Amino acid sequence: MIIKKIIIENYLCYYGIKEFDLSEGLNIIVGENGEGKTKFFEAIDWLLNGDSNNLELLISAKALNEVSIGEVFRVKVLMEVIPEYGGTASISKSFIVKKSNNGDSIISNYIIEGVERNNIGERSIIDGKTLLERIFPFEIRKYSLFKGESDLEIFKSEAALSNLINLFSDAKHYDKYSTKGEFLRLKSETAVATATKNIDTNKNNYELLEREIKRLEDSKYDITVHLNITEEEIIKVNENLEDAEQHVKNAEALKTINEKIFNIEDKIKKCNSHIDENYTTALFDEKWFLVHFEPIQRKFAEKITNLSQEKRRLQSDFDKKKGIKEGERKAKMELLNNVIPLPIGVPSKAHLEEMLKDEVCKVCNRPVEKDSEPYKFMIKRLEEYIQSQKPDVENEEEKVLFEHNYINRLESLSISHEDNLKQLRSTEQQIKDWFLLNEKLKVEINELEEQLVKQKEERNKILGNSSLAAEKLSDVLKNYNAWQKYLLGKEREKLEYSSKLHDLDIQLHSKRTEKDGIDLKSAHSFLIKTRDILRDIETIFKDTKQNKFNEFIEKLQLKSNSIFSQINIDSFTGIIKFTKKKRGDKDAIEIELQENGRVFYKPNQSLLTSMYISILFAISELSAEVKERYPMIFDAPTSSFGESKTSEFLNLIHETKGQKILLIKDFLITNKETRNLEVKKEFQNVKRDKAFWIRLQRPFNKQNLTTLNTEIITL
Amino acid sequence: MRQDKILSSFLQHELLLTKYHLNQAELPTKVRDAINSEIPIVKTIGLIVEALEKQIPETDNSLRNIVLQYLNTAAV
Repeated sequence: MIIKKIIIENYLCYYGIKEFDLSEGLNIIVGENGEGKTKFFEAIDWLLNGDSNNLELLISAKALNEVSIGEVFRVKVLMEVIPEYGGTASISKSFIVKKSNNGDSIISNYIIEGVERNNIGERSIIDGKTLLERIFPFEIRKYSLFKGESDLEIFKSEAALSNLINLFSDAKHYDKYSTKGEFLRLKSETAVATATKNIDTNKNNYELLEREIKRLEDSKYDITVHLNITEEEIIKVNENLEDAEQHVKNAEALKTINEKIFNIEDKIKKCNSHIDENYTTALFDEKWFLVHFEPIQRKFAEKITNLSQEKRRLQSDFDKKKGIKEGERKAKMELLNNVIPLPIGVPSKAHLEEMLKDEVCKVCNRPVEKDSEPYKFMIKRLEEYIQSQKPDVENEEEKVLFEHNYINRLESLSISHEDNLKQLRSTEQQIKDWFLLNEKLKVEINELEEQLVKQKEERNKILGNSSLAAEKLSDVLKNYNAWQKYLLGKEREKLEYSSKLHDLDIQLHSKRTEKDGIDLKSAHSFLIKTRDILRDIETIFKDTKQNKFNEFIEKLQLKSNSIFSQINIDSFTGIIKFTKKKRGDKDAIEIELQENGRVFYKPNQSLLTSMYISILFAISELSAEVKERYPMIFDAPTSSFGESKTSEFLNLIHETKGQKILLIKDFLITNKETRNLEVKKEFQNVKRDKAFWIRLQRPFNKQNLTTLNTEIITL
Repeated sequence: MRQDKILSSFLQHELLLTKYHLNQAELPTKVRDAINSEIPIVKTIGLIVEALEKQIPETDNSLRNIVLQYLNTAAV
């Protein structure tokens, strides 16, 4: 079947009636994103497979906008084809739209119409659905339309390829021979059994054998069912494991990254907790404000010293003037040798007593022997002090120069400040250390945050590569281990069932041989011969069907690889390997991309796409040998290809047989001067039978659907 | 013809050589010839292919009658 023409009318961006006159070879439709390619594909898909849902969403906004209220127009997709059996046929799907008072649309149900014209031009109207099934059956249609690269991955399902091979190879045709062969063999077995049982001497023993065989066959059936279920479960678990293996790698990586992230976040938290920037409190509580107090204290101490000296000098003068006792004065003068004496009480009473007791002058740090001059001096000083503390009865009435001892208090204050100075001197360092620590912690936090960002990016990559959500991914590890255990159990179960089946086969063979022996002695030889021939015919039919299937796979592998290597002419591809596997009682085909007999590790999307396309084309070509050809329609099948690979790919497709319609966005460029979209010159070198450029009519407002109208330019 | 192709694919089975000692050269290539063969297994396969490749294939009962009737007679 070949699609001759596609007509799209008022379908979304296709305003008015738009016709595509197609060639029976390679048709290339180029167009920028959003200018009508996918809508073309969807229009055909709606015609072939669509239902009545959301018809209002298929209406051209421009058409609805341009009709008056109450006016009607039609939305229609029509396909004109040349069927294999000759003549022409057209199938259309359409509905009517009426513009309502409020500007909305009122739509009718859709109708499918079919028209056939025979070779002499006679026209007949046929039910559209019936005609569609006749010229383009559903099971073929579902393998003819491919939207995007992901649609091509149908072969990921082993059953899909098996179905496709059955559909397109002639192996399917041999099914009925298998069934009829078995039917005839059973009839002949019954005839033999009936004849044997007619002989009384055989009857009991024979019936016993038949019952035993029946019991064994039932057991075999049960065990086979269980074995099939177990094998299917093994396949599923293996698929889960294979699938999970990708995730497990991710899950393990995720676990590591999550731990790293946790550690980094923990460190950041600790660093933050150590940062203390409560400087105002420290200013008072830690006496930071006194950091520059020392020079003040120095000046203060100097002033106090000066003041004290001045006071003592004044006191001395005063004493002299007042005629204080000569002895005292002499002694003082002797002692002081005309030097201004230290005030009374310095050193203190307690210190003098301690020094006298220890016989050491702790002022000059020298020993002071008892009764030595210095010792006596110290005793004298002590006595002077004690004396000074007693009320001076004699001079009670005498006028004193300094009524209050403020200077002493100031001196004490200065001394106490001196004691604090040691601590104050470390304040500056303490402030520096404090600021330094905070800065260091901040730098560390910045570094940790940078690490955190990187680790989170890494985690996003892992999650991005995974189809599972983060929380599910962490469950994968748990499931993976559980699945592995489960798989081991199932493998053991399979072994047990297989062993039981083997035993049952031996028993069955023995009983059947025994039964055949009775048959041979009892039944007519012609019945035996008939049965034996029909047993052989059944074997021949079943084996031939299997062989046909295998032959097709072999041819398919050869053809697929030939196309595959042509598509990837300048690059390494590996080999597409088809492996037939038994899935329970069904055949399944596994496809692998191998390099030197080993599975190709992680082929890129472009390679996978070209592999799937190669298989599809190979099936299409091989099926044409036994069945009719059908068109294949691809929307953006080569998005992972570069333009040059697409070009080679199209040239290759041009060489293959059968009708292909490809929608691609390559070979268009915006002219820098005119800002207009143009078809590249390189497209002239692309082999094709027909090419169209679909683009939105300019000018248009991309935010206003009523301005959109796709126009078709035949290239 | 399609039915001849199907017949040939059956007659290529190794059982015909190993058990029935029939060489490919002496086997018919057309259903018409197979039906006229004197070798029971060849004729039976020919009959089945003819019955199933008709535009309206034979029913199960009819097929059984055709095949068993011939074989029971031929194998006497």
